[in-house]
Amino acid sequence: MQYLDTGWFGIFITLMMVTFVLSNIYRAKGKKELFIRRISGLNALDDAIGRATEMGRPIVMVPGIGDLNAISVQAVNIFKQVAKTASQFGTPIRVCCANAAVYTVAQEVIRDVYQGAGMIERFDSQTVQFVSDRQFAFAAGVSGMILRDQAAASFLLGEFYAESLIFAETANAIGAIQIAGSTKTAQTPFFIAACDYVLIGDEYYAASAYLTREPVLVGSLIGQDWGKILIAAMVFFGFLLNSIERVQPATQHRGEDDKGNANWTPVDSATVKEKDKLKKANDTFTFQVFNPFITEAMKKVDPPRKPDPDAPKEEGK
Amino acid sequence: MELLAQARLTFFGMTPNSPELWVKIIVTFILGLGVMFAFTKAPIRARRMIVFSFTFASGLFYILLWLWPVAVAREPGTLPNNAVEGVAFWLDDAVPRIADVAQILTAFLLGLGIMSLLTVHTQRIRRKAQDWKYSVLLMVSLVTMVGFGYVDWIQKKFQDPQGKLLEMANWGPVQYGQDLLFDGAYQQMEAAMFSMIAFFILSAAYRAFRVRSVESTVLMASALILMLSLMGALDFIWTTGINNLVAQTHNPFLDNFKISEVAGWVKSTLQTPSIRAIEFGVGLGAVAMGLRIWLGLERGGVSA
Repeated sequence: MQYLDTGWFGIFITLMMVTFVLSNIYRAKGKKELFIRRISGLNALDDAIGRATEMGRPIVMVPGIGDLNAISVQAVNIFKQVAKTASQFGTPIRVCCANAAVYTVAQEVIRDVYQGAGMIERFDSQTVQFVSDRQFAFAAGVSGMILRDQAAASFLLGEFYAESLIFAETANAIGAIQIAGSTKTAQTPFFIAACDYVLIGDEYYAASAYLTREPVLVGSLIGQDWGKILIAAMVFFGFLLNSIERVQPATQHRGEDDKGNANWTPVDSATVKEKDKLKKANDTFTFQVFNPFITEAMKKVDPPRKPDPDAPKEEGK
Repeated sequence: MELLAQARLTFFGMTPNSPELWVKIIVTFILGLGVMFAFTKAPIRARRMIVFSFTFASGLFYILLWLWPVAVAREPGTLPNNAVEGVAFWLDDAVPRIADVAQILTAFLLGLGIMSLLTVHTQRIRRKAQDWKYSVLLMVSLVTMVGFGYVDWIQKKFQDPQGKLLEMANWGPVQYGQDLLFDGAYQQMEAAMFSMIAFFILSAAYRAFRVRSVESTVLMASALILMLSLMGALDFIWTTGINNLVAQTHNPFLDNFKISEVAGWVKSTLQTPSIRAIEFGVGLGAVAMGLRIWLGLERGGVSA
């Protein structure tokens, strides 16, 4: 039986990334102080909690509408840190979930926080609640909650889609301080337009390391940075290699007529013949590394066929 | 391995209502209850170990699925030729089973979610909290929707084997009621919520485009270029102007200043690489996060 050739490159790069992360976690274990650049969105978390405490109003937290995955787990991790501080000051929090699995995990985590702080009586059914698993029913429910409870702060962290702006604008309308972050690049501009602080891209995943400063998490961040350097180097050498491989002489010359309109003419035939030697995009080394399963036969979309000698001849030919 | 290679011999592929299948279902159910009971009684340290073991095993399965050679053109009912193919077949067969388990777990968790909803709103009604009438409305809507949906399902499943109820002409009060509630009310309200985004975009854009800093000025300038490039009449006037200028000056470089060219440059040279760079970072973050969760290194977080 034949096996699908997915190539060595993807696996090799992934294993390198994994090695970077694990080796840096190991290296960081013994170290106390590791530098992380300032992330203003995460610095503002304490300010937002303080504001809510002073105003005596709740903090609304939404872990997005996605399934239980790395994104929502990270959101719950951040909410856990918020809940730790909020439980100490008796600030009410509302974690609104659209996914039942995320709700269950968030409920366990936040309850543990309150229990650990000895404030379990402050944890009630409204602290973590399931609103709806339908996108806009959820949006309506959470917006209503933000308006009715006059939330002092809203943290929108997770996987958001079209409902992101409904939350952000509703909270903005009542003057709530807003910290948002999404790994969806399509939603980040909406958050930037409507929220006070936004975690962009991998800042979102750096949050738990930033808030806890645990060596294991900070080490993992350094591993990610090594990975970024590797990717940047690959992009640079990739475009260099591709450019060199596909250097090609011009086949047409741009001229102008009397009215200034463009006039394209073929260059001399000796140069045009060079085009036969040109490499196509799918002949380059870069393409072949990333697409090992595309064979020579597959590249021929419409292979030439031999004429059938027995076929009846059409009239006029 | 060989058993799994033939779909008809798997656990879920057994003859419906056969005594063997029922015995297996009952035994699995009792075993499942026993595991759940043991899990609730286990000390916290042991629970963490169990959670870690399940997480590690699940992660390992998908890593194996990704790394193991995939046999192409596998026909149904074929047996593996060697151990490598045996593992590949086993992994391949196990994917739908694991998806089933995940689906069943999700269904149970949805029950917990509905419990949360009922608890919150029952308390609000009992305490006569602010706007408690909305909670009554929510409870009534929930019960009505489930009621209509369930009766409709029973009628279609058991009383209408020919599928006559799928045609509107044969609908009864239940189908009309469900249609009114779901398509007539709920879907329209959802569409209304979605439409509100247009106004929210306007108000958010107004605030974002106020020139207060260098960043907001850059944002406003690039947004303005893109918006202008999408206005057909303005694009035509601008392009004609540039064409005339090129004709007068004989300088084709000016073609680059057509509004559509500038907008294309902003999108392809500034926007797309920035988004890709962000996505690289997000991807790396997800790998690191997944790795930490899989190996139980995410201490202080969800897995601790």
